Amino acid sequence: MELLKDVREMGQELIAYRGLLYEMTRRDLLLRYKQTAMGFAWAIFMPLINTAVFYVIFVRVAKIDVGVPYALFAFSGLTVWNFFASSLKFALPSLTSNLVLVTKVYFPREVFPFSTTLVCLVDFAVAAVALVVLMIYYRVGITPAILYLPIVLLVHVIFTLGVALLVAMANLFYRDVKYIFEILLTVWMFATSVLYPLNQLTGKLRLVTQLNPMTPIVEAYRDVLLFGRSPLTPIFLATAAVSVAVFFVSWLSFHRAEYEFAESV
Amino acid sequence: MADGAAVQFDDVWKKFRQGERHDSLRDLGPALIARLTRRRDPQALRDQEFWALREVSFEVKAGEALGIIGPNGAGKSTTLKLLTKIIRPTRGRFAVHGRVGALIEIAAGFHPDLTGRENVFLQGAIMGMRRDEIPRKLDEIVEFAGVGAFLDTPVKRYSSGMNARLGFAVAAHLQPDVLIIDEVLSVGDMAFQQRCVERMQHFKRQGVAIVFVSHNLQAVESLCDNALFLHREPRAYGPTSEVLQTYLRASMEAGGSSANEEVQILGAQLLDAAGEPAKAAVPGDLLTLEVRVHVRKPLPDLYVGLMCLRSTDLLVVYDGHFHDPEIGLSRVSEGHVVKLSCTFRAHLTRGHYHLACQVIHGPTQRILSRLAPAAMLVVEETRTYAGVVDLDVTVDRKDEGPLAPTLVPADGQVVRG
Repeated sequence: MELLKDVREMGQELIAYRGLLYEMTRRDLLLRYKQTAMGFAWAIFMPLINTAVFYVIFVRVAKIDVGVPYALFAFSGLTVWNFFASSLKFALPSLTSNLVLVTKVYFPREVFPFSTTLVCLVDFAVAAVALVVLMIYYRVGITPAILYLPIVLLVHVIFTLGVALLVAMANLFYRDVKYIFEILLTVWMFATSVLYPLNQLTGKLRLVTQLNPMTPIVEAYRDVLLFGRSPLTPIFLATAAVSVAVFFVSWLSFHRAEYEFAESV
Repeated sequence: MADGAAVQFDDVWKKFRQGERHDSLRDLGPALIARLTRRRDPQALRDQEFWALREVSFEVKAGEALGIIGPNGAGKSTTLKLLTKIIRPTRGRFAVHGRVGALIEIAAGFHPDLTGRENVFLQGAIMGMRRDEIPRKLDEIVEFAGVGAFLDTPVKRYSSGMNARLGFAVAAHLQPDVLIIDEVLSVGDMAFQQRCVERMQHFKRQGVAIVFVSHNLQAVESLCDNALFLHREPRAYGPTSEVLQTYLRASMEAGGSSANEEVQILGAQLLDAAGEPAKAAVPGDLLTLEVRVHVRKPLPDLYVGLMCLRSTDLLVVYDGHFHDPEIGLSRVSEGHVVKLSCTFRAHLTRGHYHLACQVIHGPTQRILSRLAPAAMLVVEETRTYAGVVDLDVTVDRKDEGPLAPTLVPADGQVVRG
């Protein structure tokens, strides 16, 4: 069984090189701390600025009702989206910017996109602190639904890792992927209910938005944090299944293509 | 799998593509169509492809070292990349047992903005050290690299030598079963190079199987039991001395001299004391290099130069010139061929040497004719390990009887009774 052998190899290698994953992640975090004056404050600052901009647009210009304070609605959506988007942004050049290592030393190449995603996860945690502050300010209390948060986070991370592996690999083989990716990411954000509530959409537009796995993920976070309800809707469960499938297929194809990386640069 | 082989290559082939690789999305379509429509054997060569390696087989046992030598582009580094699993062979099988440590690009994982200490942790992890292993070995690594005072300085402020030394130090403290070394002896000063060689010998004694790629033939000769001469395919494989000889012969093509000068060296032959062609010698052998020279037009003020070089590192062991009055080339009749017999004692240590000769016109310093190598010579014996000159050492023994008891007086001087 070729498949079983590959899966076992993938698992074993990741366990053997978990120290490297840790060191790579630490390296990137250290570097950010050393190279930028604001360090981790960027993780809060970016979604905060965006929230302010969209707050003006959607509250003062085009009034929409989202059921909770709009700033909270937008900031939660943007933070969740930000983890996904920045993970991909950093994963995309993770192989091509480490060409010396890719061509000279052997270790599982998954370490690169995995570690950039872990770095973004740290940012995500920092931004979550700001979200808690906002929730206290708007007096939105937590409910027992918060217990579903780990499940939502897990689906979110798994889907992000799956796409991160794909874009890192694609960019190694085809260098113009990064240009297309910029545009795609902008379109993707507006196709996700980051800034507007899903119930504002009808018909085909709503269908398209819901087929996008990021929409049920963003919605699930809001269910858990802001609306105090269970996120386990059929559409979220389907998204969870899709995320696992995406992750598995991209990791497997990444692993199988790994041997061509050094020759393809 | 043969018993005890830590590394085994069995008829390994690897193909590469020549020319530019297409890597924009525009090429994705044609590539996919080509892949779907052309059902050709993936092991066959397609357009622009070539075999970078063919039929490579070798094995290295624990505690053995294999040197891979060959000209640039011969596939040496490709072989190492196959060994370290960075690329996969197109055809053939190979097996590597145990933990592989590679000294390939020794500071490859260093990040300029991180400190020496941070980089040691990162590099250690890249090379496959376990998390708990690195802190334990940190002191030893720093000591070996000699960068103690700069450990918390970003490596971008290091000199290139310090950088490389730290990289090597990390690698040198891996505990591999198989060690792969690609031309790393060229970094660092002499003291550090010496430490590197000692470290490799230490690894070898510990039972590590070593694969060593280098252009430093002297190092290959001293470290490796076996050697592989590679030029896209194996040209020679076996005991280091024999393979080196094949390689040296192949890489030193006789330099012909232009035929329109006044004097031309036609050829040379190395003979032993009995007048038989000599290929190998022991230190102190009497040898004669016979050089045949065609004198088209006798000139005054000619010099004949005779050189002896150690082939593995081109060290000039001897370079002597003989002025015309001694040998009388100007007195030879026009058009004649003369034979010059240069007799010497081979006061050389074990190794590979070659001889060269030339005829120079004194006033213009013009080389009229040159023959290099004129002959090749292997000095074989068991006493010397290294060195250049056989000092013809004799060891005498004289029995002085049992050691008398010693008295140590208060002033510390040893007085024998």
